[in-house]
Amino acid sequence: MKFWNGENEQMVREDLEQVQLERLQSTLNRAYKNVQFYSKQFDSLGIDPGAVSSVQDIAKLPFTTRKDLGDNYPYGLFAVPLRDIVRISPSAGTAVKPVVVGYTKGDLKVRDTITARFLTAGGVIDTDIVQICLNPGLSNWGRALKEGAESIGASVMPMSHMSTSKQLMAMEDYRTSVLLTTPSYAMHMLGVMEVMNKDANSLALKAILVVGEPLKDKTRRLLEAAFFVDVTAGYGPSDVMGPGIAFECRQKDGLHISEDHLLLEVVDPNGGAPCPPGQAGEVVITTLTARAFPLIRFRTGDLASTMEKTCPCGRTLARLTGITGHTGEVLTIRGVKVHPAQIERILKVVSGAFSPRFLIHLFKEKHLDMIEIWLEMTDAIFSDEVKVVEKALTRLRQQMFQMLGLEARIKLMEASTLDDYAAPSGGVIDDR
Amino acid sequence: MLRIKNLHTYYGRIQALDNVSLHVRVGEIVCLIGANGAGKTTILNTVSGLIRRAQGEIFFENSKINGLSPEKVVGAGISQVPEGRQIFGPLSVLENLQLGAYLRFKKKEKMAIEQDLERIFQLFPRLRERLTQIAGTLSGGEQQMLAIGRALMARPKLLLLDEPSMGLAPLVVRDIMNTISALRDTGVTILMVEQNARASLRISDRGYVLETGRVVLQGSSEELLNDNDVKRAYLGKDYKTFWEGRGPV
Repeated sequence: MKFWNGENEQMVREDLEQVQLERLQSTLNRAYKNVQFYSKQFDSLGIDPGAVSSVQDIAKLPFTTRKDLGDNYPYGLFAVPLRDIVRISPSAGTAVKPVVVGYTKGDLKVRDTITARFLTAGGVIDTDIVQICLNPGLSNWGRALKEGAESIGASVMPMSHMSTSKQLMAMEDYRTSVLLTTPSYAMHMLGVMEVMNKDANSLALKAILVVGEPLKDKTRRLLEAAFFVDVTAGYGPSDVMGPGIAFECRQKDGLHISEDHLLLEVVDPNGGAPCPPGQAGEVVITTLTARAFPLIRFRTGDLASTMEKTCPCGRTLARLTGITGHTGEVLTIRGVKVHPAQIERILKVVSGAFSPRFLIHLFKEKHLDMIEIWLEMTDAIFSDEVKVVEKALTRLRQQMFQMLGLEARIKLMEASTLDDYAAPSGGVIDDR
Repeated sequence: MLRIKNLHTYYGRIQALDNVSLHVRVGEIVCLIGANGAGKTTILNTVSGLIRRAQGEIFFENSKINGLSPEKVVGAGISQVPEGRQIFGPLSVLENLQLGAYLRFKKKEKMAIEQDLERIFQLFPRLRERLTQIAGTLSGGEQQMLAIGRALMARPKLLLLDEPSMGLAPLVVRDIMNTISALRDTGVTILMVEQNARASLRISDRGYVLETGRVVLQGSSEELLNDNDVKRAYLGKDYKTFWEGRGPV
């Protein structure tokens, strides 16, 4: 099967733009009517939602940031009464408070449709056996992918806490035909297979679909050659939306945006002016069909550019290049978005009120992103008793995992060693 | 087929439509639902040229029809069945139907008109039985059939129906709705306004929900029938108890 929603994925441009305009206008009307944050923001800027008369007019509206999501914790941005919400989906976010996204029954159906498009474009059909391997920080996506694959009718092995060798065993024994994971975890699996002296001939894999991190050409080539599969990528900002709001088709040349459900802009991260096709900028998303959690011009912090030409695959949906980087301080570690300030808050909680000096060291180990916190050894942490120090560090690791869903390593360092790096506290040393 | 962009319409200084955009594809039944005064009828009247719009564009089969006079709009292939039927009471059923083809008489399409009458009698056998009866003495359901039949005599491609179920008994409403469904099968596209949201959503493909002159929601009829907001506001389901009551039809 080539398309999941043939009709919607191949709409004539003019029809698509009419649908986008209608949905944008009703989204603005609903958001203005039901969400205080938006009505206040529009009123204070003197913006009339009734004045948006083209899709391009969206540029007149203010942005919504991750900070706004945090400030309106937990339910401030919901546009329907809680009784209509059937799924409450928190994620760490990048502010003090987590981000809570709500879904109505209808919203979940839309998410399934969008996810199913991504999976279908990557070659998933109803007879496939789909295995999902994501780290716990991406558990919302794990669910979205599971439900999307189920709506296609595939047999799904949801994400679990199995070790890589167990995952590989399952992949071999259950005859998994599609693997859904991150690029780095796929590479990691490859490494483990080498150690175990296995090769892809023992597997029944036909496709790998990756999310969470940008897929580099080199990684794609390596994985395709080693696993004898097609590798395609999906994109979504991990904290607020599903994993495949933009997805590659088998042309593997850019990601098709589900434009009938989302309006995607690329803007200059500094001034906010729209970027022409081909010029990289920050991806800004507006939902067009979301009922529970409408987002108007949400700044994702991801950098990419739009592509101009239509794709030979037949989809008329516009394309986005792969994500080329991130704005500001937000780090993406194994697909999970982390702000250095979040780590600082965790350190504060564990070490008491004061804020210790630290650096964040990111590196790759067996193709996986690793995060290591270099913590200055101070009297508050240091104790003569090894036990006490150990206990504090264990607690720190636990907190990191709980708050961010990431396994972090903690390294205690002398103040003078930290000085060598000439980075302010909270600085990032990225060796990836 | 029909494409409306950013329509603003006023009654005096009162804004009746605020930035309404909608579209109807060939062969679809699309319904507009909403409370009294939400602007549903205003949309139909603006399309048919009865009311002038202040701003916005209306395209029919890719040509602009906003600003055209009502008879030009009929000529383009759009007929409206007004709210409350508005048939010519003192005239006979046949005369009412013939008036519907007024523009075509001028074009000397007499033969074709005869054929169309036959088609309408097939759709509404009751009208043939009452051919010479004075229209004002017909029952409500029959009058509605006559009003639809009269609009069809202009051979519209798009039919605008304003509250076809108004004032009719539940059983008759079902008849009318079935007829509208059958009409679509004969190739007529339909844009319909209805207070009876449930009955109209059941036969339509898509719907738009209007509130104080604005579109607040759109979707397939199935989506709207299952939407909690729509259920609360227009399907008569109480906020506290969402039990499947037995509403009309």
